[in-house]
Amino acid sequence: MKDDIMYSKTKTLSRRQFLFTTGLVFTGMLLPPFRPIWAAQPAAKSTGEFGELNATDPGGIDLYLEHKDLLIGGKPGRAIAINGSIPGPVIRMQEGKEALIRVHNRLDESSSIHWHGILLPFNMDGVPGISFPGIPAGETFTYRYPIRQNGTYWYHSHTGLQEQLGHYGQLIVEPAEADPVGYDVEHSIVLSDWTFENPHSVLRKLKTMEGYYNFQRPTLANIDDQMKATGMSLSEVLGKRLAWDRMRMDPTDIADITGATYTYLMNGKAAHENPTFIAKPGQRVRLRIVNASTMTFYDVRIPGLPMTVVQADGQNIKPVETDEFRIGVAETYDVIVTLPDSRAYTLFAETMDRSGYARGTLAPRQGMPAELPEQRRRPMLTMADMGMMMHGEMEDMDGEGHEGMNQVMPSHASGDGQLPTTNLIGRIKHGPDQHGPASITMAQTAYRRLDYPGAGLGDDGWRVLTYSQLRVLEEPPDRRPPTRQFDLHLTGNMHKYIWGFDGKKWSQSDMIRFQYGERLRINMINDTMMSHPIHLHGMWMDLYAGAEHYGDNPRKHTVNVQPSELLTVDISADAPGQWAFHCHLLYHMEAGMFRTVAVVRSLEGGLINVKS
Amino acid sequence: MSSRNYRPWNIVVFLMLLTFAVPARAQKESDLPSTADRLLHGESAAQHDESPTPAPEIEPAIPEGMTLEEVFDFAESPPPSDFPEPLSDDKRYAFMLFEQLEYRVATDDETADHLGWEAQGWIGGDFNKFWWKNEGEAVFDGPDEWEMETDLLYSRLITPFWDFQVGVQYANDWRKDDYEDRWSGMIALQGLAPYNFELDNSLYISEDGDVTVAIEAEYDLRITQRLVLQPRVGMGFAFQDIPERSLGGGMTDVTLDMRMRYEIKREFAPYFGLRSQFLVGETGNIAEAGGEDSEKLFFLAGFRFAF
Repeated sequence: MKDDIMYSKTKTLSRRQFLFTTGLVFTGMLLPPFRPIWAAQPAAKSTGEFGELNATDPGGIDLYLEHKDLLIGGKPGRAIAINGSIPGPVIRMQEGKEALIRVHNRLDESSSIHWHGILLPFNMDGVPGISFPGIPAGETFTYRYPIRQNGTYWYHSHTGLQEQLGHYGQLIVEPAEADPVGYDVEHSIVLSDWTFENPHSVLRKLKTMEGYYNFQRPTLANIDDQMKATGMSLSEVLGKRLAWDRMRMDPTDIADITGATYTYLMNGKAAHENPTFIAKPGQRVRLRIVNASTMTFYDVRIPGLPMTVVQADGQNIKPVETDEFRIGVAETYDVIVTLPDSRAYTLFAETMDRSGYARGTLAPRQGMPAELPEQRRRPMLTMADMGMMMHGEMEDMDGEGHEGMNQVMPSHASGDGQLPTTNLIGRIKHGPDQHGPASITMAQTAYRRLDYPGAGLGDDGWRVLTYSQLRVLEEPPDRRPPTRQFDLHLTGNMHKYIWGFDGKKWSQSDMIRFQYGERLRINMINDTMMSHPIHLHGMWMDLYAGAEHYGDNPRKHTVNVQPSELLTVDISADAPGQWAFHCHLLYHMEAGMFRTVAVVRSLEGGLINVKS
Repeated sequence: MSSRNYRPWNIVVFLMLLTFAVPARAQKESDLPSTADRLLHGESAAQHDESPTPAPEIEPAIPEGMTLEEVFDFAESPPPSDFPEPLSDDKRYAFMLFEQLEYRVATDDETADHLGWEAQGWIGGDFNKFWWKNEGEAVFDGPDEWEMETDLLYSRLITPFWDFQVGVQYANDWRKDDYEDRWSGMIALQGLAPYNFELDNSLYISEDGDVTVAIEAEYDLRITQRLVLQPRVGMGFAFQDIPERSLGGGMTDVTLDMRMRYEIKREFAPYFGLRSQFLVGETGNIAEAGGEDSEKLFFLAGFRFAF
């Protein structure tokens, strides 16, 4: 289990760091509020120096939100800091106790904190407009809620685009009982993305100029490169490109926002600052990894070191050994690694579009840089991302889905009819596109992609984690088969940067109603060519990961839905109130890919307007 | 470029195969269940027959001081009026693009060098916008001569790639001691066609009842990530002779442009290029009868910028 000496050392240090931080905050308050940049320079602190607080300790904790000039990757930027730092302090909680957090908003605008993945009363969920009115400038809001779960989570602003400015941090809930994950030392790894631009001007650029940040497009100059990389002839490459052109699509549209403006951060540090995580050879090292990015998917690996994934989205899973995993925005993974020798190892987090990376070093002591792996080529979307498959693949899919197909179709409306829990339908063709001008339906068919590691992964000769490998360690309560289901289409118009569900933005929608107590199935169908991490507040989503025994499927708070994917989640509607349900890509959410979910007494009540 | 296996007809064959391949695939997929037959959330809720819901196995998390019934009352109502909106997905944006702001140097002696521009912009939401377009030219060589066309339009996104626009055009030109202008009603279809061609097609009915059509198409050929070659074609048609505008019925003019720009930023790109302009059909005859060349060639240099 834990190395106590190690652990208390960390704690003392962080308490001192916290005092230092608080000291800085108070000193900051004495200074006039609008000092010129040069005056701030000597005092400007670097990002990544964050402390740790325990929110279930008697007396609770205080968080201070403020605009702050910080050095990000060595360059000055104006951030939203929590207790003076980016990321904010690691907040610890003890399962079974009550968390008490006073959030002091010292910004000149309204703000909020959402506790991502924590199940709590709806008024503590921190979504302005759904759970509460928000925290007005200059005011304090007290969060108080019982902790009935454990694991690695995170917290962030749910107001406007504040998250882009550094308003996030990690949250760790210590289990009430012995932790089934044995480890000697642990490290928090917070991945994120930072831009020196105003986030609103970033959104405006996305809205007005398609592909603004993509500098990896198909060009005449890179035809030869594409031929070499794919082994295709010139005519094949040109034919492929023409086919994409005909569809008015760009196969290199992997990320809306790229390294052209982003600095990629690990614990607030840019790649060249190389944060070091101390681990002695032979120790079981637990890395609690959260992707706190607004828009960036990371592919995480430690060259030369296998990782054992033990937790996903705060939920213990049956350990899986792997070499690399893709972490969607807002997901968390806990991995165990052990250094076999006294060498340094690189913790490499490459962005999905290969336009940059965050990195750190695992080493027995400070100042031991490890070799940096070469960056891979940027992936391109393929016909498979439109639900078109080669012949052989298709037969496989047909075979898989048959049993479910017959069961699924007729049973949707019967109140007592239980839906199947294994061998779900494998493939659906897309009917006529009726989603209107806000949706460009690229997917011809939607199909299970649980085994697919994602664009640009899987061909490197090492193992890559997929959703199909996730199995809960212990079966959670309430695994009744669902009795009601509906389809939810993930839709968007990337040309005009409009995003939504079923062709509608939030402002055009009604609330999605769950009946309290029901077990509900949502079949998400991604009509777009982008991956969307879909997050449900207040309740777990049991991800259909193809388990033979239904109870083994993992629980998640955020599920990444890949292009043309048919992905099914089952939900126990056990949290009365209203909740947010959205794509966790911040700019997709702000563009309308968001729904209010109402967990109501009965579905008889009729539609509920999302606006007051 | 390498010389390996390059045969243009390969592409043609590929495209033909593609055309054949698509129906074959469609046939196979027709056996699959279709999303059209499945339920969206509203339909699912409406068809749900009310059966008693078993109490959840987990005790619900409820705000302090509220009963379960009070929470349901809250959940079944629109948000209270003091709640802000959780996101602003119907914000208005404004955008302006000067596609051309250039000096045109004529290759013949009779035609004056001039400044030319073409700009457009919009303000509005995702679906409904106010859209304006302005193009014109000005000659500073000798007495100033200006010529300008301004479109003021209501624009609606009718399909993912196409805006339908309706409004008015004000065309005016002035030189020393002379000012002429003309109002027209107009409709336009602007958007992105398959193969990524930007199209802008407009139909005008002038205050005198004359009907004309303008078609513009352009394509961005990316040479590198920042170097872009843009061919562009513009065509004009008149549905009748319009002597006061020196136009004959039928196709009136064709303009072929080629611009090579370098995107220092996406918003700012200097360029140079060529323009050849042809007055055709009856319109060409009218020009030649007036002693004017019906074919003109210009060198172009300018800036493309947006904000």
